[in-house]
Amino acid sequence: MGDKKQLFQDMSDAVVAMDEERVVALARTVIESKVDVYEAIENGLSHGMERAGQLFEEEEYFVPELLVCSDAMYAGLDLLRPHLTQCEGGSKHKVVIGVIEGDTHDIGKNLVKIMLETGGFELHDLGRDVPAARFVQKAGEIDADIIAISTLMTTTMDGMAEVVKLLEKENLRDRVKVIVGGGPISQGFAARIGADGYAAHAGAAVNVARGLMNGDRAHAR
Amino acid sequence: MRDKMTPVERLDAYARGGAIDRLPFVPIVGNTAARVIGVKVSELRNNGHLLAEAQVGAYRLFGYDNIRIFTDLYVQAEAMGASVTVPDDETAYLDAPAIADISQIKHLRPADPACDGCLPEHIEATRIAVREVGSVVPVTTALTGPFTNASFLVGTENLVRLALKAPSAIDQLCELSLKASIDYADAIIEAGATPSLTDPMSSSTVMSPAGFREFSLPYLTRLIEYLHSREKKVTLHICGKTNRIWKDMVVAGADCISVDNKIDLVEACREVGSSVRLMGNVDPSDVMLLGTPGKVREAVQQCVRQAWQAPKGFIVASGCSLPTETPFENIHAMLDAVRESGFPIPEGRLQEAS
Repeated sequence: MGDKKQLFQDMSDAVVAMDEERVVALARTVIESKVDVYEAIENGLSHGMERAGQLFEEEEYFVPELLVCSDAMYAGLDLLRPHLTQCEGGSKHKVVIGVIEGDTHDIGKNLVKIMLETGGFELHDLGRDVPAARFVQKAGEIDADIIAISTLMTTTMDGMAEVVKLLEKENLRDRVKVIVGGGPISQGFAARIGADGYAAHAGAAVNVARGLMNGDRAHAR
Repeated sequence: MRDKMTPVERLDAYARGGAIDRLPFVPIVGNTAARVIGVKVSELRNNGHLLAEAQVGAYRLFGYDNIRIFTDLYVQAEAMGASVTVPDDETAYLDAPAIADISQIKHLRPADPACDGCLPEHIEATRIAVREVGSVVPVTTALTGPFTNASFLVGTENLVRLALKAPSAIDQLCELSLKASIDYADAIIEAGATPSLTDPMSSSTVMSPAGFREFSLPYLTRLIEYLHSREKKVTLHICGKTNRIWKDMVVAGADCISVDNKIDLVEACREVGSSVRLMGNVDPSDVMLLGTPGKVREAVQQCVRQAWQAPKGFIVASGCSLPTETPFENIHAMLDAVRESGFPIPEGRLQEAS
Protein backbone atom coordinates (compact mmCIF):
# COMPACT_ATOMS: atom_id res chain seq x y z
CA MET A 1 0.00 0.00 0.00
CA GLY A 2 1.58 3.21 -1.21
CA ASP A 3 0.06 5.42 1.49
CA LYS A 4 1.48 3.31 4.27
CA LYS A 5 4.91 3.28 2.71
CA GLN A 6 4.79 7.06 2.33
CA LEU A 7 3.68 7.47 5.94
CA PHE A 8 6.64 5.44 7.19
CA GLN A 9 9.00 7.38 4.97
CA ASP A 10 7.60 10.65 6.33
CA MET A 11 8.11 9.44 9.90
CA SER A 12 11.65 8.42 9.11
CA ASP A 13 12.32 11.79 7.49
CA ALA A 14 10.82 13.68 10.42
CA VAL A 15 13.12 11.83 12.86
CA VAL A 16 16.13 12.70 10.69
CA ALA A 17 14.90 16.31 10.48
CA MET A 18 14.68 16.43 14.32
CA ASP A 19 11.04 17.52 13.93
CA GLU A 20 9.42 16.22 17.10
CA GLU A 21 6.02 17.82 16.45
CA ARG A 22 5.77 16.22 13.04
CA VAL A 23 6.78 12.81 14.39
CA VAL A 24 4.03 13.08 17.00
CA ALA A 25 1.46 14.13 14.38
CA LEU A 26 2.45 11.24 12.11
CA ALA A 27 2.30 8.78 15.01
CA ARG A 28 -1.27 9.97 15.65
CA THR A 29 -2.07 9.34 12.00
CA VAL A 30 -0.71 5.80 12.36
CA ILE A 31 -3.01 5.15 15.32
CA GLU A 32 -6.09 6.80 13.78
CA SER A 33 -5.75 5.10 10.43
CA LYS A 34 -5.10 1.74 12.15
CA VAL A 35 -1.83 1.17 10.34
CA ASP A 36 0.29 -1.64 11.81
CA VAL A 37 2.05 -0.04 14.79
CA TYR A 38 4.94 -2.46 14.85
CA GLU A 39 5.69 -1.74 11.20
CA ALA A 40 5.48 2.00 11.85
CA ILE A 41 8.09 1.69 14.59
CA GLU A 42 10.38 -0.53 12.54
CA ASN A 43 10.09 1.16 9.16
CA GLY A 44 9.39 4.69 10.32
CA LEU A 45 10.94 5.63 13.70
CA SER A 46 13.78 3.10 13.91
CA HIS A 47 14.53 3.57 10.24
CA GLY A 48 14.91 7.32 10.77
CA MET A 49 17.09 6.82 13.84
CA GLU A 50 19.35 4.41 11.95
CA ARG A 51 19.74 7.02 9.22
CA ALA A 52 20.60 9.62 11.88
CA GLY A 53 23.19 7.16 13.24
CA GLN A 54 24.61 6.86 9.75
CA LEU A 55 24.86 10.66 9.44
CA PHE A 56 26.63 10.67 12.83
CA GLU A 57 29.17 8.14 11.54
CA GLU A 58 29.70 10.28 8.46
CA GLU A 59 30.24 13.38 10.67
CA GLU A 60 27.28 15.18 9.14
CA TYR A 61 25.48 14.94 12.46
CA PHE A 62 27.10 15.40 15.86
CA VAL A 63 26.06 14.69 19.45
CA PRO A 64 23.40 17.45 19.67
CA GLU A 65 21.73 16.40 16.41
CA LEU A 66 21.70 12.72 17.36
CA LEU A 67 20.18 13.50 20.76
CA VAL A 68 17.46 15.69 19.31
CA CYS A 69 16.66 13.06 16.64
CA SER A 70 16.29 10.56 19.48
CA ASP A 71 14.00 12.96 21.36
CA ALA A 72 11.76 12.99 18.29
CA MET A 73 11.93 9.22 17.94
CA TYR A 74 11.07 8.61 21.59
CA ALA A 75 8.16 11.07 21.42
CA GLY A 76 6.70 8.94 18.60
CA LEU A 77 7.54 5.71 20.40
CA ASP A 78 5.76 6.83 23.59
CA LEU A 79 2.58 7.29 21.58
CA LEU A 80 2.82 4.06 19.60
CA ARG A 81 4.04 1.63 22.27
CA PRO A 82 0.71 1.33 24.14
CA HIS A 83 -0.86 0.16 20.87
CA LEU A 84 1.57 -2.72 20.38
CA THR A 85 0.14 -6.16 21.06
CA GLN A 86 2.14 -8.23 23.51
CA CYS A 87 3.75 -10.79 21.23
CA GLU A 88 4.95 -8.45 18.53
CA GLY A 89 8.65 -8.20 18.08
CA GLY A 90 9.32 -11.52 19.79
CA SER A 91 11.83 -11.83 22.60
CA LYS A 92 14.72 -9.41 22.48
CA HIS A 93 18.31 -9.79 23.53
CA LYS A 94 18.86 -8.07 26.86
CA VAL A 95 21.62 -5.56 27.48
CA VAL A 96 22.71 -4.12 30.82
CA ILE A 97 24.37 -0.77 30.17
CA GLY A 98 26.07 1.86 32.32
CA VAL A 99 29.01 4.16 32.94
CA ILE A 100 31.60 2.59 35.24
CA GLU A 101 32.15 3.86 38.77
CA GLY A 102 34.18 7.07 39.04
CA ASP A 103 32.77 8.64 35.90
CA THR A 104 29.62 10.61 35.26
CA HIS A 105 30.10 11.37 31.55
CA ASP A 106 27.05 9.62 30.19
CA ILE A 107 26.40 11.11 26.75
CA GLY A 108 28.36 8.33 25.05
CA LYS A 109 26.50 5.69 27.03
CA ASN A 110 23.17 7.33 26.21
CA LEU A 111 23.96 7.37 22.50
CA VAL A 112 24.89 3.68 22.57
CA LYS A 113 21.68 2.95 24.47
CA ILE A 114 19.60 4.81 21.87
CA MET A 115 21.27 3.02 18.98
CA LEU A 116 20.97 -0.43 20.61
CA GLU A 117 17.29 0.17 21.38
CA THR A 118 16.80 1.27 17.82
CA GLY A 119 18.61 -1.88 16.73
CA GLY A 120 16.09 -4.09 18.54
CA PHE A 121 17.76 -4.77 21.87
CA GLU A 122 16.09 -4.53 25.28
CA LEU A 123 18.09 -2.08 27.40
CA HIS A 124 18.47 -1.96 31.17
CA ASP A 125 20.20 1.29 32.02
CA LEU A 126 22.07 1.47 35.34
CA GLY A 127 23.02 5.11 34.76
CA ARG A 128 26.42 6.55 35.61
CA ASP A 129 29.02 6.01 38.31
CA VAL A 130 28.04 2.31 38.52
CA PRO A 131 30.14 -0.11 40.66
CA ALA A 132 31.41 -3.20 38.83
CA ALA A 133 29.43 -5.53 41.10
CA ARG A 134 26.18 -3.81 40.18
CA PHE A 135 26.60 -4.67 36.47
CA VAL A 136 27.11 -8.32 37.34
CA GLN A 137 24.26 -8.45 39.84
CA LYS A 138 21.83 -6.89 37.37
CA ALA A 139 22.95 -9.19 34.55
CA GLY A 140 22.30 -12.21 36.77
CA GLU A 141 18.93 -10.85 37.87
CA ILE A 142 17.51 -10.34 34.39
CA ASP A 143 19.48 -13.07 32.61
CA ALA A 144 21.19 -10.52 30.35
CA ASP A 145 22.94 -11.44 27.12
CA ILE A 146 25.29 -8.48 27.09
CA ILE A 147 26.90 -6.06 29.53
CA ALA A 148 27.88 -2.77 27.86
CA ILE A 149 30.27 -0.55 29.83
CA SER A 150 31.36 2.96 29.00
CA THR A 151 33.88 5.44 30.35
CA LEU A 152 35.43 8.68 29.18
CA MET A 153 38.08 8.73 31.86
CA THR A 154 41.42 6.96 31.82
CA THR A 155 41.15 6.90 35.59
CA THR A 156 38.25 4.44 35.62
CA MET A 157 39.30 1.90 33.03
CA ASP A 158 40.27 -0.67 35.67
CA GLY A 159 36.64 -0.96 36.76
CA MET A 160 35.86 -2.49 33.39
CA ALA A 161 38.37 -5.28 33.99
CA GLU A 162 36.75 -5.80 37.38
CA VAL A 163 33.38 -6.56 35.71
CA VAL A 164 34.96 -9.33 33.63
CA LYS A 165 36.67 -10.79 36.72
CA LEU A 166 33.45 -10.74 38.73
CA LEU A 167 31.54 -12.49 35.93
CA GLU A 168 34.13 -15.25 36.04
CA LYS A 169 33.87 -15.52 39.79
CA GLU A 170 30.08 -15.78 39.62
CA ASN A 171 30.29 -18.39 36.85
CA LEU A 172 28.37 -16.10 34.52
CA ARG A 173 31.18 -15.47 32.06
CA ASP A 174 29.91 -18.03 29.51
CA ARG A 175 26.42 -16.59 29.50
CA VAL A 176 27.10 -12.88 29.28
CA LYS A 177 29.11 -11.06 26.61
CA VAL A 178 30.94 -7.88 27.59
CA ILE A 179 31.37 -4.90 25.29
CA VAL A 180 33.32 -1.78 26.19
CA GLY A 181 33.72 1.68 24.71
CA GLY A 182 34.49 5.33 25.39
CA GLY A 183 37.22 7.90 24.79
CA PRO A 184 40.33 6.20 26.18
CA ILE A 185 39.22 2.63 25.36
CA SER A 186 40.81 0.80 22.45
CA GLN A 187 40.59 -2.62 20.85
CA GLY A 188 43.87 -3.45 22.56
CA PHE A 189 42.49 -2.55 25.97
CA ALA A 190 39.31 -4.56 25.35
CA ALA A 191 41.38 -7.60 24.45
CA ARG A 192 43.67 -7.13 27.45
CA ILE A 193 40.84 -7.19 29.99
CA GLY A 194 39.12 -10.11 28.23
CA ALA A 195 36.07 -8.22 26.93
CA ASP A 196 34.25 -9.77 23.99
CA GLY A 197 33.85 -6.66 21.92
CA TYR A 198 34.88 -3.06 21.47
CA ALA A 199 32.94 -0.36 19.68
CA ALA A 200 34.66 2.81 18.55
CA HIS A 201 31.38 4.73 18.39
CA ALA A 202 27.65 4.40 19.05
CA GLY A 203 26.77 3.22 15.56
CA ALA A 204 29.40 0.47 15.70
CA ALA A 205 28.03 -0.82 19.01
CA VAL A 206 24.96 -2.20 17.23
CA ASN A 207 27.08 -4.22 14.80
CA VAL A 208 29.31 -5.49 17.60
CA ALA A 209 26.30 -6.53 19.69
CA ARG A 210 24.57 -8.23 16.76
CA GLY A 211 27.78 -10.00 15.81
CA LEU A 212 28.18 -11.35 19.34
CA MET A 213 24.60 -12.59 19.39
CA ASN A 214 25.33 -14.41 16.14
CA GLY A 215 28.23 -16.14 17.78
CA ASP A 216 31.18 -14.10 16.50
CA ARG A 217 33.78 -12.62 18.73
CA ALA A 218 33.13 -9.34 17.03
CA HIS A 219 35.47 -6.41 16.74
CA ALA A 220 33.57 -4.15 14.39
CA ARG A 221 34.69 -0.59 14.23
CA MET B 1 71.71 12.74 29.49
CA ARG B 2 71.20 16.16 31.03
CA ASP B 3 69.67 19.32 29.65
CA LYS B 4 71.97 22.23 28.87
CA MET B 5 69.29 24.93 29.05
CA THR B 6 66.53 25.78 31.52
CA PRO B 7 62.97 25.64 30.20
CA VAL B 8 62.72 29.44 30.21
CA GLU B 9 66.00 29.77 28.27
CA ARG B 10 64.95 27.04 25.83
CA LEU B 11 61.49 28.46 25.15
CA ASP B 12 62.81 32.00 24.75
CA ALA B 13 65.49 30.86 22.31
CA TYR B 14 63.01 28.68 20.41
CA ALA B 15 60.59 31.61 20.06
CA ARG B 16 63.39 33.80 18.67
CA GLY B 17 64.57 31.09 16.29
CA GLY B 18 67.84 30.75 18.20
CA ALA B 19 69.79 27.58 19.01
CA ILE B 20 68.25 25.09 21.46
CA ASP B 21 69.53 21.84 22.97
CA ARG B 22 66.31 19.87 22.32
CA LEU B 23 62.65 20.40 21.46
CA PRO B 24 60.46 21.73 24.26
CA PHE B 25 58.57 18.96 26.00
CA VAL B 26 55.37 18.98 28.09
CA PRO B 27 53.94 15.65 29.24
CA ILE B 28 50.82 17.37 30.72
CA VAL B 29 51.20 15.89 34.19
CA GLY B 30 48.00 16.19 36.22
CA ASN B 31 47.29 14.18 39.34
CA THR B 32 50.30 11.96 38.68
CA ALA B 33 51.98 14.73 40.68
CA ALA B 34 50.30 13.31 43.80
CA ARG B 35 52.27 10.08 43.25
CA VAL B 36 55.51 12.06 43.04
CA ILE B 37 55.16 13.34 46.62
CA GLY B 38 53.27 10.31 47.93
CA VAL B 39 49.93 11.88 48.82
CA LYS B 40 46.37 11.04 47.87
CA VAL B 41 44.86 12.75 44.84
CA SER B 42 42.06 14.25 46.93
CA GLU B 43 44.58 16.00 49.19
CA LEU B 44 45.80 18.26 46.37
CA ARG B 45 42.52 19.75 45.30
CA ASN B 46 41.93 22.24 48.05
CA ASN B 47 45.43 22.68 49.45
CA GLY B 48 47.55 25.22 47.62
CA HIS B 49 50.78 24.35 49.46
CA LEU B 50 50.48 20.64 48.71
CA LEU B 51 49.37 21.20 45.11
CA ALA B 52 52.40 23.44 44.52
CA GLU B 53 54.71 20.96 46.24
CA ALA B 54 53.37 18.14 44.03
CA GLN B 55 53.59 20.04 40.75
CA VAL B 56 57.00 21.57 41.50
CA GLY B 57 58.17 18.14 42.68
CA ALA B 58 57.01 16.54 39.42
CA TYR B 59 58.78 19.23 37.41
CA ARG B 60 62.01 18.64 39.34
CA LEU B 61 61.75 14.87 38.94
CA PHE B 62 61.09 14.82 35.21
CA GLY B 63 62.58 18.12 34.02
CA TYR B 64 59.91 19.10 31.50
CA ASP B 65 59.27 22.59 30.17
CA ASN B 66 56.03 23.80 31.70
CA ILE B 67 54.33 23.51 35.08
CA ARG B 68 50.56 23.36 34.96
CA ILE B 69 48.52 23.85 38.12
CA PHE B 70 45.59 21.53 37.53
CA THR B 71 43.56 18.96 39.44
CA ASP B 72 40.41 18.52 37.36
CA LEU B 73 38.22 20.44 34.92
CA TYR B 74 35.52 21.33 37.43
CA VAL B 75 37.05 23.79 39.89
CA GLN B 76 35.53 26.84 38.16
CA ALA B 77 32.05 25.33 37.70
CA GLU B 78 32.15 24.11 41.30
CA ALA B 79 32.90 27.66 42.43
CA MET B 80 29.68 28.65 40.64
CA GLY B 81 27.53 26.01 42.31
CA ALA B 82 28.11 22.71 40.50
CA SER B 83 28.67 19.77 42.81
CA VAL B 84 31.75 17.63 42.42
CA THR B 85 32.49 14.13 43.71
CA VAL B 86 35.97 13.89 45.19
CA PRO B 87 37.06 10.24 45.48
CA ASP B 88 39.75 9.54 48.06
CA ASP B 89 42.53 8.81 45.61
CA GLU B 90 41.24 9.42 42.10
CA THR B 91 40.50 12.44 39.94
CA ALA B 92 37.41 14.41 40.96
CA TYR B 93 34.39 14.34 38.68
CA LEU B 94 31.19 16.27 38.16
CA ASP B 95 28.33 15.00 40.27
CA ALA B 96 25.62 17.49 39.33
CA PRO B 97 25.52 20.72 37.34
CA ALA B 98 24.90 24.05 39.10
CA ILE B 99 21.35 24.33 37.77
CA ALA B 100 18.80 21.75 36.66
CA ASP B 101 17.29 23.82 33.89
CA ILE B 102 17.59 27.18 32.18
CA SER B 103 14.89 28.83 34.28
CA GLN B 104 17.50 28.98 37.07
CA ILE B 105 20.14 30.84 35.08
CA LYS B 106 19.28 34.06 36.91
CA HIS B 107 20.56 32.52 40.15
CA LEU B 108 24.07 32.02 38.75
CA ARG B 109 26.93 34.41 39.49
CA PRO B 110 30.50 34.43 38.13
CA ALA B 111 32.87 32.83 40.64
CA ASP B 112 35.07 35.04 42.81
CA PRO B 113 38.60 33.57 42.66
CA ALA B 114 39.38 35.14 46.04
CA CYS B 115 36.83 33.10 47.94
CA ASP B 116 34.76 30.60 45.94
CA GLY B 117 35.38 26.84 45.97
CA CYS B 118 38.95 25.65 45.50
CA LEU B 119 39.95 28.65 43.39
CA PRO B 120 41.85 30.48 46.19
CA GLU B 121 43.96 27.37 46.82
CA HIS B 122 44.71 26.95 43.12
CA ILE B 123 45.81 30.58 43.03
CA GLU B 124 47.92 29.99 46.13
CA ALA B 125 49.54 26.95 44.47
CA THR B 126 50.24 29.11 41.43
CA ARG B 127 51.86 31.82 43.56
CA ILE B 128 54.08 29.33 45.38
CA ALA B 129 55.18 27.57 42.19
CA VAL B 130 56.04 30.91 40.57
CA ARG B 131 58.03 31.94 43.64
CA GLU B 132 59.95 28.66 43.82
CA VAL B 133 60.76 27.91 40.21
CA GLY B 134 59.16 30.59 38.07
CA SER B 135 62.51 32.04 37.06
CA VAL B 136 63.51 28.81 35.32
CA VAL B 137 60.24 27.24 34.15
CA PRO B 138 57.01 28.83 32.92
CA VAL B 139 54.14 28.28 35.34
CA THR B 140 50.64 27.96 33.91
CA THR B 141 47.29 27.38 35.55
CA ALA B 142 44.47 25.54 33.83
CA LEU B 143 41.58 27.71 32.70
CA THR B 144 38.44 26.01 31.37
CA GLY B 145 36.91 27.54 28.24
CA PRO B 146 33.54 29.35 28.50
CA PHE B 147 31.55 26.80 26.48
CA THR B 148 32.91 23.84 28.44
CA ASN B 149 32.31 25.60 31.73
CA ALA B 150 28.75 26.37 30.59
CA SER B 151 28.24 22.65 30.00
CA PHE B 152 29.16 21.96 33.62
CA LEU B 153 26.75 24.65 34.82
CA VAL B 154 23.65 23.24 33.12
CA GLY B 155 24.73 19.65 32.30
CA THR B 156 26.37 18.55 29.10
CA GLU B 157 23.36 16.82 27.60
CA ASN B 158 21.16 19.78 28.46
CA LEU B 159 23.61 22.20 26.91
CA VAL B 160 23.96 20.40 23.59
CA ARG B 161 20.17 20.11 23.31
CA LEU B 162 19.92 23.85 23.95
CA ALA B 163 22.15 24.37 20.92
CA LEU B 164 19.27 23.19 18.76
CA LYS B 165 16.28 24.08 20.92
CA ALA B 166 17.05 27.30 22.85
CA PRO B 167 20.27 28.87 21.58
CA SER B 168 19.82 32.14 23.48
CA ALA B 169 20.15 30.28 26.80
CA ILE B 170 23.59 29.07 25.72
CA ASP B 171 24.63 32.65 25.11
CA GLN B 172 23.63 33.63 28.64
CA LEU B 173 25.54 30.71 30.15
CA CYS B 174 28.64 31.34 28.03
CA GLU B 175 28.54 35.06 28.83
CA LEU B 176 28.52 34.25 32.55
CA SER B 177 31.30 31.70 32.11
CA LEU B 178 33.35 34.18 30.11
CA LYS B 179 33.08 36.74 32.90
CA ALA B 180 34.14 34.07 35.42
CA SER B 181 37.03 32.96 33.17
CA ILE B 182 38.31 36.52 32.84
CA ASP B 183 38.17 37.08 36.60
CA TYR B 184 40.02 33.81 37.21
CA ALA B 185 42.54 34.64 34.48
CA ASP B 186 43.22 37.98 36.20
CA ALA B 187 43.93 36.19 39.47
CA ILE B 188 46.23 33.70 37.71
CA ILE B 189 48.13 36.51 35.99
CA GLU B 190 48.43 38.49 39.20
CA ALA B 191 49.90 35.38 40.83
CA GLY B 192 52.64 35.55 38.18
CA ALA B 193 51.51 32.74 35.87
CA THR B 194 49.89 32.27 32.47
CA PRO B 195 46.42 30.77 32.01
CA SER B 196 46.43 27.58 29.93
CA LEU B 197 43.16 27.17 28.07
CA THR B 198 41.35 23.88 27.78
CA ASP B 199 37.97 23.54 26.11
CA PRO B 200 37.06 19.88 25.56
CA MET B 201 33.35 20.47 24.82
CA SER B 202 34.29 22.46 21.72
CA SER B 203 35.57 19.21 20.19
CA SER B 204 34.06 17.96 16.96
CA THR B 205 33.69 14.66 18.81
CA VAL B 206 30.77 16.45 20.51
CA MET B 207 29.70 19.57 18.60
CA SER B 208 29.48 20.12 14.87
CA PRO B 209 32.02 22.60 13.48
CA ALA B 210 29.07 24.89 12.72
CA GLY B 211 27.81 24.57 16.31
CA PHE B 212 31.31 25.30 17.61
CA ARG B 213 31.48 28.45 15.48
CA GLU B 214 28.09 29.63 16.64
CA PHE B 215 28.23 28.85 20.36
CA SER B 216 31.82 28.51 21.52
CA LEU B 217 34.08 30.43 19.19
CA PRO B 218 32.77 33.95 19.96
CA TYR B 219 33.51 33.51 23.68
CA LEU B 220 36.81 31.78 23.11
CA THR B 221 37.85 34.65 20.85
CA ARG B 222 36.91 37.26 23.45
CA LEU B 223 38.75 35.37 26.18
CA ILE B 224 41.89 35.07 24.05
CA GLU B 225 41.67 38.75 23.11
CA TYR B 226 41.58 39.57 26.79
CA LEU B 227 44.60 37.35 27.55
CA HIS B 228 46.50 39.02 24.72
CA SER B 229 45.61 42.43 26.15
CA ARG B 230 47.37 41.23 29.32
CA GLU B 231 50.34 40.27 27.14
CA LYS B 232 49.97 36.54 27.58
CA LYS B 233 50.52 33.96 24.86
CA VAL B 234 47.69 31.48 24.67
CA THR B 235 47.89 27.70 24.40
CA LEU B 236 44.52 26.19 23.54
CA HIS B 237 43.81 22.50 24.06
CA ILE B 238 40.70 20.90 22.60
CA CYS B 239 40.31 17.14 22.99
CA GLY B 240 39.17 14.65 20.37
CA LYS B 241 38.60 15.51 16.75
CA THR B 242 39.50 19.09 15.82
CA ASN B 243 40.73 18.99 12.22
CA ARG B 244 37.65 20.77 10.91
CA ILE B 245 38.02 23.62 13.44
CA TRP B 246 41.80 24.21 13.43
CA LYS B 247 41.43 27.25 11.24
CA ASP B 248 38.82 28.64 13.63
CA MET B 249 41.15 28.03 16.56
CA VAL B 250 43.70 30.11 14.69
CA VAL B 251 41.12 32.83 14.00
CA ALA B 252 40.25 32.81 17.71
CA GLY B 253 43.82 33.94 18.25
CA ALA B 254 45.51 30.90 19.80
CA ASP B 255 49.30 31.10 19.69
CA CYS B 256 49.72 27.37 20.25
CA ILE B 257 47.24 24.59 19.54
CA SER B 258 47.50 21.44 21.63
CA VAL B 259 46.02 18.46 19.80
CA ASP B 260 44.64 15.10 20.89
CA ASN B 261 46.29 11.79 19.98
CA LYS B 262 43.40 11.12 17.59
CA ILE B 263 44.84 13.84 15.34
CA ASP B 264 47.21 13.31 12.42
CA LEU B 265 50.15 15.64 13.18
CA VAL B 266 51.26 15.69 9.56
CA GLU B 267 47.86 17.00 8.54
CA ALA B 268 47.91 19.55 11.40
CA CYS B 269 51.33 20.83 10.29
CA ARG B 270 50.16 21.14 6.71
CA GLU B 271 46.89 22.89 7.57
CA VAL B 272 47.87 25.31 10.34
CA GLY B 273 51.57 24.78 11.09
CA SER B 274 52.45 28.04 9.35
CA SER B 275 50.04 30.02 11.53
CA VAL B 276 50.39 28.57 15.02
CA ARG B 277 52.74 26.52 17.12
CA LEU B 278 51.58 22.90 17.54
CA MET B 279 51.75 20.72 20.60
CA GLY B 280 51.07 16.99 20.85
CA ASN B 281 50.27 14.18 20.75
CA VAL B 282 51.48 10.93 22.33
CA ASP B 283 48.55 8.70 23.33
CA PRO B 284 48.07 9.20 27.09
CA SER B 285 46.25 5.93 27.61
CA ASP B 286 47.48 3.22 25.23
CA VAL B 287 51.08 4.43 25.12
CA MET B 288 51.73 6.39 28.32
CA LEU B 289 49.58 4.48 30.82
CA LEU B 290 49.66 0.98 29.34
CA GLY B 291 52.75 1.00 27.11
CA THR B 292 56.39 0.16 27.77
CA PRO B 293 59.28 2.68 27.68
CA GLY B 294 60.15 1.21 24.26
CA LYS B 295 56.68 1.93 22.96
CA VAL B 296 56.83 5.45 24.43
CA ARG B 297 60.13 6.10 22.66
CA GLU B 298 58.70 4.99 19.31
CA ALA B 299 55.63 7.17 19.77
CA VAL B 300 57.74 10.23 20.66
CA GLN B 301 60.02 9.67 17.68
CA GLN B 302 57.02 9.45 15.40
CA CYS B 303 55.64 12.78 16.70
CA VAL B 304 59.04 14.46 16.37
CA ARG B 305 59.49 13.10 12.86
CA GLN B 306 56.08 14.37 11.85
CA ALA B 307 56.22 17.86 13.31
CA TRP B 308 59.69 19.08 14.28
CA GLN B 309 59.96 21.24 11.20
CA ALA B 310 56.62 22.98 11.72
CA PRO B 311 57.24 26.63 10.78
CA LYS B 312 55.79 28.10 13.99
CA GLY B 313 57.35 25.47 16.18
CA PHE B 314 56.43 22.24 17.88
CA ILE B 315 56.23 21.08 21.49
CA VAL B 316 56.36 17.36 22.20
CA ALA B 317 53.44 16.58 24.51
CA SER B 318 50.88 14.00 25.45
CA GLY B 319 47.57 14.21 23.58
CA CYS B 320 45.74 15.03 26.82
CA SER B 321 46.44 15.08 30.58
CA LEU B 322 48.26 11.93 31.67
CA PRO B 323 46.27 9.40 33.68
CA THR B 324 47.18 9.48 37.38
CA GLU B 325 48.82 6.06 37.39
CA THR B 326 51.08 6.65 34.38
CA PRO B 327 54.36 4.87 35.25
CA PHE B 328 57.21 7.29 36.01
CA GLU B 329 59.53 5.27 33.76
CA ASN B 330 57.27 6.09 30.81
CA ILE B 331 57.46 9.83 31.52
CA HIS B 332 61.24 9.56 31.84
CA ALA B 333 61.34 7.58 28.58
CA MET B 334 59.32 10.28 26.86
CA LEU B 335 61.78 12.96 27.89
CA ASP B 336 64.84 10.80 27.13
CA ALA B 337 63.54 10.25 23.60
CA VAL B 338 63.21 14.01 23.11
CA ARG B 339 66.74 14.60 24.49
CA GLU B 340 68.23 11.91 22.26
CA SER B 341 66.70 13.52 19.20
CA GLY B 342 68.61 16.75 19.81
CA PHE B 343 67.86 19.86 17.76
CA PRO B 344 67.88 20.42 14.89
CA ILE B 345 67.28 16.74 14.24
CA PRO B 346 70.17 15.26 12.22
CA GLU B 347 69.08 13.46 9.08
CA GLY B 348 68.65 9.75 9.67
CA ARG B 349 68.36 9.92 13.46
CA LEU B 350 64.63 9.24 13.47
CA GLN B 351 64.53 6.93 10.49
CA GLU B 352 64.76 3.51 12.12
CA ALA B 353 61.09 3.23 13.10
CA SER B 354 59.63 4.72 9.95
